Amino acid sequence: MSAPKCFLLLVGSPRGKKSTSESLGDYLLEQLREMGLETEKIWIYPSLKSQEKSSDLISAVDHFDTVIFASPLYVDSLPAPVTKAMELIADHRKTTKMAKKQQLLAISNCGFPEAHHNDPALAIYRLFATESGFEWAGGLALGMGAAINGRSLNDLGSMARNVKKSLKLTATALAKGKPVSPEAVDLMAKQFIPSWIYMQIGGIGWRRQAKKNKVRTKSMYNRPYQR
Amino acid sequence: MKALILDGSTEENFTLKIVHDVIIDEFKNMGWKVNSWVLRDLKIGSCYGCFKCWVQTPGICIIDDVERDIAKEAIQSDLLIFLTPVTFGGYSSELKKAVDRLIPLVMPFFIKIDGEVHHKSRYERYPSLMGIGILPNEDKESEQLFKTLVNRNAINFHSPTHTAGVIMSNQDKELIREKIKTLLSEVGVKK
Repeated sequence: MSAPKCFLLLVGSPRGKKSTSESLGDYLLEQLREMGLETEKIWIYPSLKSQEKSSDLISAVDHFDTVIFASPLYVDSLPAPVTKAMELIADHRKTTKMAKKQQLLAISNCGFPEAHHNDPALAIYRLFATESGFEWAGGLALGMGAAINGRSLNDLGSMARNVKKSLKLTATALAKGKPVSPEAVDLMAKQFIPSWIYMQIGGIGWRRQAKKNKVRTKSMYNRPYQR
Repeated sequence: MKALILDGSTEENFTLKIVHDVIIDEFKNMGWKVNSWVLRDLKIGSCYGCFKCWVQTPGICIIDDVERDIAKEAIQSDLLIFLTPVTFGGYSSELKKAVDRLIPLVMPFFIKIDGEVHHKSRYERYPSLMGIGILPNEDKESEQLFKTLVNRNAINFHSPTHTAGVIMSNQDKELIREKIKTLLSEVGVKK
């Protein structure tokens, strides 16, 4: 594929600007802009609010050389609105002849420590790419997404060094029209801290949030639908 | 015994309707109660990703819509059935909007299952899970991914048993019935 010039990030999180999906996508776009390339960002959730906005999303996807999806993992796959957007894009592209070759990259992040929970989501993105006439540029999977929690990667210090390195490598590959390297995939999947520490910190965090809402730890175990 | 079908068809789908009717028929023969929700007819909000169902209103989604009834019925069933056109190897957006909102049924806290981290169960018992996907043509890759996804969901929803299968749009009703019988047997449905 010839070197792409313009890149579109589709953010597939309901949290929008406070999402880890956007943090990851933003850093990637930043690297591409530093190479003098054009970038744009669209949030999927608000784009599905009206027919007009959905049409704008579909047109934008047609226009850009490379499309990047960044989304959280919801119950082992993509959030429903991301799936909806993909259904609309795929339907449109079944009946429309594409003027150019386009690449598609996907970044999926989850709250589990192990990045491989994202594998089904990335496989879904890959099949979508193939069915919709994109060249599959690969997928990046991140675990422990809660550790980023929507913050800019530039503010995270050494914790995010592997993630940043992965996205820099990815930007270099995409700018040449090449797929993501195995090195970038491995770096993104590296755990920030050991699983057991993450599990402990996670538990403390949930209890703290509940306490803020005046919910006792015991009540967190409620079974409102017990039969 | 009780089964719940979540029908994720995105439009009137002839094969999916046959599958749905055959399932109802088979459950009647076995003396099970069965209910189904046609999800495309329901206004179900998208999960906000706010986790308030874990830290503010434990076990209940803060969005007050029909999904609360679906989640309640799901956890009170013995078998939960995901019926969907296979969409890029996964579920349709109609099915997914309901599945995303089932997370109040588990806890925020983590547990290791077979060496892998998952969310702890909230309830003592969970329904078994059966996924049935409809494909226009044979497509081994999509079929395998669909089965993997159902398997992963079964782990995360603590299903005691699970199974998944794919039915082609051009299959006749008797073949479909045989397939459904096999799947029901695999997931442990008995009279």
